[in-house]
Amino acid sequence: MIAGPGYHRPVAETIEALERRIDGLRVAVREAVLAGDRALASAHRASLKRAEQAWEDALMTATAPDAQTAPHAQAASEPGQATHPRAREPAEPTGSLLPLREQVYEALSLLQVPAAPKLIATVHEAFFGATFPTSRVTSLKRDEERSFRAAPFSRPYYICAALSADYLAPSRGLLAISTWPLERRVIGSLSPRVDFLTAAIRVAEAIERIPEPPPAARRLLQRFAASIPGASSPPSPPATVKEAAAAELTVHKDADDRARGAAAARARPLAGAEQLFGTMSFRELAIRTSGQTAGRAAAE
Amino acid sequence: MTASPRPSPAQAQTQARLDRLRGRALPVNHNARTIAALAANPGCSRRALMDAVGVDKQQVATHVGFPAPFGQSQFAIARGNAFEAQVKEGGAAQLLTLLREHLGLDVGQAHYHDLNDVGGNETALVRHGRTRQLLTGAALSAPGEATGTMFDHPMLRLAVGGRHAYLEPDLIALQHRGRFHVVEIKSFAIIDGQADPAKVAAAAIQSAVYVHALRDLLGGDPGRVHYETVLVAPRDFSSQPTVATVDVRRQLTVLRRQLDRIASVEGLLDLYPAELTFDLDPDPGGRPQRPPGELADAIGQVTANYTPDCLATCDLCFLCRDEAAGTTGALGRSVRTDLGGVEHAEQVLGLARGTLPPSQERAEIAAQLTRAARLRTELLGTQLFGTEI
Repeated sequence: MIAGPGYHRPVAETIEALERRIDGLRVAVREAVLAGDRALASAHRASLKRAEQAWEDALMTATAPDAQTAPHAQAASEPGQATHPRAREPAEPTGSLLPLREQVYEALSLLQVPAAPKLIATVHEAFFGATFPTSRVTSLKRDEERSFRAAPFSRPYYICAALSADYLAPSRGLLAISTWPLERRVIGSLSPRVDFLTAAIRVAEAIERIPEPPPAARRLLQRFAASIPGASSPPSPPATVKEAAAAELTVHKDADDRARGAAAARARPLAGAEQLFGTMSFRELAIRTSGQTAGRAAAE
Repeated sequence: MTASPRPSPAQAQTQARLDRLRGRALPVNHNARTIAALAANPGCSRRALMDAVGVDKQQVATHVGFPAPFGQSQFAIARGNAFEAQVKEGGAAQLLTLLREHLGLDVGQAHYHDLNDVGGNETALVRHGRTRQLLTGAALSAPGEATGTMFDHPMLRLAVGGRHAYLEPDLIALQHRGRFHVVEIKSFAIIDGQADPAKVAAAAIQSAVYVHALRDLLGGDPGRVHYETVLVAPRDFSSQPTVATVDVRRQLTVLRRQLDRIASVEGLLDLYPAELTFDLDPDPGGRPQRPPGELADAIGQVTANYTPDCLATCDLCFLCRDEAAGTTGALGRSVRTDLGGVEHAEQVLGLARGTLPPSQERAEIAAQLTRAARLRTELLGTQLFGTEI
């Protein structure tokens, strides 16, 4: 669960890391089954199966360093999974072995600010070498909320909503991590700009940490730089982007901190689920009018 | 949607008349496109009356056998949405850069309010209330304590013919000098500083509708909302946005006149018999039962002013074009102006050939037409046939 840009190829995961993840996934499957969430359980089962396969493959690679002449008999002994371990690598250049929620967690941990699914997917692709369709992220938030309501705080973290400062309702399309301070998860009128600049700084820092940053990461930084005064003319080195973003940040920071602090103070008395996934009053009203009450009412 | 705020007996009488004209159908609510279309052809009584009444023109046109040809392409909608999402990404980062360059926004002016929903509630009424609250608050705030710069998808409201139309501009920006600018995001390209004039004209009139509604919301003070609107569109052949200002003063004048005309619809109503109705006589399943010929006769009583531009904006265009076949107006405004006073193409040909003796007031145009016909014969070596044109 370490969210550093240190590894940007999922295939490089060690056997130990895989074992830890397999254990974690088994727990997740159990929780999902107990919570009666079949969709989540089957998603976790699929991830578990992939992780176990990766573990087998990694083990095989470890025992037979010369994988080109790896024992075909062994691979063939597993029906339906006769693919050569190395042959899998180029075939899945964009898929990750991690479950979606962990990929989202990795990307958000790099950015350190609430972000939209599209940016999350772009960051993950740029720094972790794998992407996912943004449409899946929407259902992820729903799954997280359901899981939280079934068994509150049973996971170390949840992918949750950013809250609009005015109504403390889920801010449209923004995702956050439940362990972040409330001040970071509420969105005032200056926060979109502040978060944009902060994200630019984080991306620049992440690039500086990598000896040879992938082109996708450079492109991402360039996209940020284009909308920051003082860094817009390419090529913008990470240091310039950082400096320019920090300069604009000083203009907005105080006002934004005040607004966020006040909103966070209002959000603090809220119950766990509302604090993480937003207040219900307006949303319920809207849901009721569109006639989708069934699922959510049952969850309560 | 709702009745006008102050109904007087005269207004109630007019309303009863309008309800009769509309028949049993529910009034169709206006949107920016339909209001923009109103201003596109101010001379058309048919459109003015039907819009004031709130007739479902599309249904009427379909029933009389001339279904409307348009509706926006799915691809155009998808492209438009993708471009809008792109410029509004990351707290409207791309847009903010453009507005800073273009409107001279201060660095501190980076507030962004998302009005697509209010705490998850997307109903027009709630969003309009919140829009009013935020925009008036921003307008009244002191320059140093500005709380609003960009308002994403605010919900404005305009009274048209006694009913409220809800309008949703792409974005409204507030300049540090306390003036609002309507920002319209379009996906047609501005290539080398030039864009399709028809599309720019359509965008301009749509923006004018928003300017009008925004001035209305802010208490009618024209100084608060700038007549120059901001058009954001892709530059050249890239997806990079560029910006242009569009002066909408002329469109505003036309729009105001047209809205006044709808508001004072009594004058228009007096021209037609009291029993006139566009009712479709629907059966319990909602299928129209009225004989199409009878409905067409009712429509025919109200004069139209067909021009080829109608094809892009009005549901009744095919019906009116069919009616207008053979007239000079059907060939476009410029032809009609050039042939001032001559109604039909057949008469034009008659005058040109010299077979139709010109009346005194047509003597000048007849001389011009004869000359044009002679030139044509000299150039092409053929005579002017009756079937041509």
